[in-house]
Amino acid sequence: MSEYTAKDFKKGQPRWCPGCGDHFFLASLQKAMAEIGIAPYDTAVISGIGCSSRLPHYMATYGMNTIHGRAAAIATGCKIANPNLTVWQVSGDGDGLAIGGNHFIHTNRRNIDLNMILLNNRIYGLTKGQYSPTSPRGFVSKSSPYGTVEDPFRPAELCFGARGHFFARAVATDAPGTIEILKAAQAHKGASVCEILQNCIIFNNGTHESVHTPEGRAKNAIYLEHGKPMIFGENKEFGLVQEGFGLKVAKIGENGITEKDILVHDAHCEDNTLQLKLALMEGPDFPIALGVIRDVEAPTYNDAIEEQIKDVKSKKTYHNFQELLMTNDTWEVK
Amino acid sequence: MSEEIKLMKGNEAIAHAAIRCGCDGYFGYPITPQSEVLETLTEVEPWKTTGMNVLQAESEVAAINMVYGGAGTGKKVMTSSSSPGVSLKQEGISYLAGAELPALIVNVMRGGPGLGTIQPSQADYFQTVKGGGHGDYKLIALAPASVQEMADFVGLGFDLAFKYRNPAIILADGVIGQMMEKVVLPPFKPRRTDEEIVKECPWAAVGKPKNRKCNIITSLELDPAVMEKKNLHLQEKYREIEANEVRYEEIQCKDAEYLLVAFGSSARICQKAVEMARAEGIKVGLLRPITLWPFPSKVLNQFANQVKSMLCVELNAGQMVEDVRLAVNGKVKVEHFGRLGGIVYTPDEIIEAMKAKIM
Repeated sequence: MSEYTAKDFKKGQPRWCPGCGDHFFLASLQKAMAEIGIAPYDTAVISGIGCSSRLPHYMATYGMNTIHGRAAAIATGCKIANPNLTVWQVSGDGDGLAIGGNHFIHTNRRNIDLNMILLNNRIYGLTKGQYSPTSPRGFVSKSSPYGTVEDPFRPAELCFGARGHFFARAVATDAPGTIEILKAAQAHKGASVCEILQNCIIFNNGTHESVHTPEGRAKNAIYLEHGKPMIFGENKEFGLVQEGFGLKVAKIGENGITEKDILVHDAHCEDNTLQLKLALMEGPDFPIALGVIRDVEAPTYNDAIEEQIKDVKSKKTYHNFQELLMTNDTWEVK
Repeated sequence: MSEEIKLMKGNEAIAHAAIRCGCDGYFGYPITPQSEVLETLTEVEPWKTTGMNVLQAESEVAAINMVYGGAGTGKKVMTSSSSPGVSLKQEGISYLAGAELPALIVNVMRGGPGLGTIQPSQADYFQTVKGGGHGDYKLIALAPASVQEMADFVGLGFDLAFKYRNPAIILADGVIGQMMEKVVLPPFKPRRTDEEIVKECPWAAVGKPKNRKCNIITSLELDPAVMEKKNLHLQEKYREIEANEVRYEEIQCKDAEYLLVAFGSSARICQKAVEMARAEGIKVGLLRPITLWPFPSKVLNQFANQVKSMLCVELNAGQMVEDVRLAVNGKVKVEHFGRLGGIVYTPDEIIEAMKAKIM
């Protein structure tokens, strides 16, 4: 049992618009941290710039509200310098994937033991409504009044492309779903990415409409659980099956499909092919995947460095200064 | 229709003036208080009329490097941002200066350091005129004090940038960017044709004609002797700019016994302070540097023979005051008055500071 409650992680009065997805996420993060049970003083929350980057101001933990896009690099420095800290990096889609895209991929590749939160509302909210790197093609915004002509990033693809070992997704309004993936991210050693689908009530209202409510999620989302068949639908009547190189939605009981034919989710599978397919599913033909999509063990940067130091130390031939001087060729001057 | 008087924000004036002066490309990224430059450009859709391109980059770093690429083709290209974003651009600016490429950068300043505030400030004076990026380089720095000048300086900035093959910067602040004033936009000037660019920019990567000599645009030179020559050439160019391009405005200076020195929005407030002080019988004038580099050192030195003292009024902790003191060279007392963190002084505060510090 954790000795903490969500209250122990709360501080101040958030300055976000009423109804902003950030409020939901903040409450879930505080609850998740309480359940995880790591002391507030052993925790650092690090953000860049954006609406969601105000989050550290509302946490009773250590915090850094830093530079646009650089949160992942700063969190990396923090974790490397003080491995005892549990570090949460919180960015929006602008902060994390535009100028921060480079740091996002390298932090994943390097496998620093960080919990990286990507609050994805597909808009620049703080600068009042320009399109972001996750805004869909054709998206109308203040800086694209006639629609964007660019394809968006899909965060999972970036994470997997950068050889990320943990990717999970939740909807901000779904507290239990959010808390569950946050706890899983903390349990995972290494870089873990949690994509939180959240609404921007002012500049991009309804962007994740199909999964915003419990009813919507029952219909349009699938909750993935490792080792469980991937079944979804209001009456659990659909399942995911493999067809050729792709996935297919099948109705259980039709065309001879039984529960046994439904694919079983394997979040621990090293090969990320099917996990990526799950992460990229979208409506109306597919449900949106929620929960832990990928969770594969791999040595973290900190562990690997310690391992290397141990290894080099064990092989070295000198153990004091005198021995060091005698390491290589020596000459006697006569 | 170009004589038509319009009412708009300084940021919007920048956007409209860019289209009208034949700009070929704008590369930006949202940041308060200058996002209206990008927003106005995408709203007006100049690519459908003049053919000017507008792109929202993934960051300020990307935007300035897109400018670097565009400038390499001899086109009129520009970017705009606000203080934290302009810090990000410094590497690209240094390379542009080193490679001797013309480009226009707009900084609508906000308070720093770091993320600071979104309120106006003039604390990027040092960054603008003393380098900002690395190496011995200079930017032609224009400081608008009105929405009209925001519009006028786009064309002027490009003209100077191309004349000297050197990046130019418009150093505005949140006040000038956000305030609405009447403005007469410059007349439409067509974008230059490829043939004109070939003629005017023999260095540009235009791809034709076939028999043209290849040229590598770079700031790199590993041979120190050649690199020194390159630097000396830049310095020679800077001396030429200093000799020819100093711009300033004198306001009630003829009989002045005291002199205020201020640029941009501060100069506007000082203008009111001068008016009010004169009503009290204090003979005060205002010297407004329009080019922050090249700096109006000579004229300030001359005024040092006329006035009893000077007060440099700027929205920072004391930056331009150093250049004023260098110009005056100890002839008279030069003091500084500023507000920080996004707070803007009133004319009354300026008069009070004047009485307390230099009278």
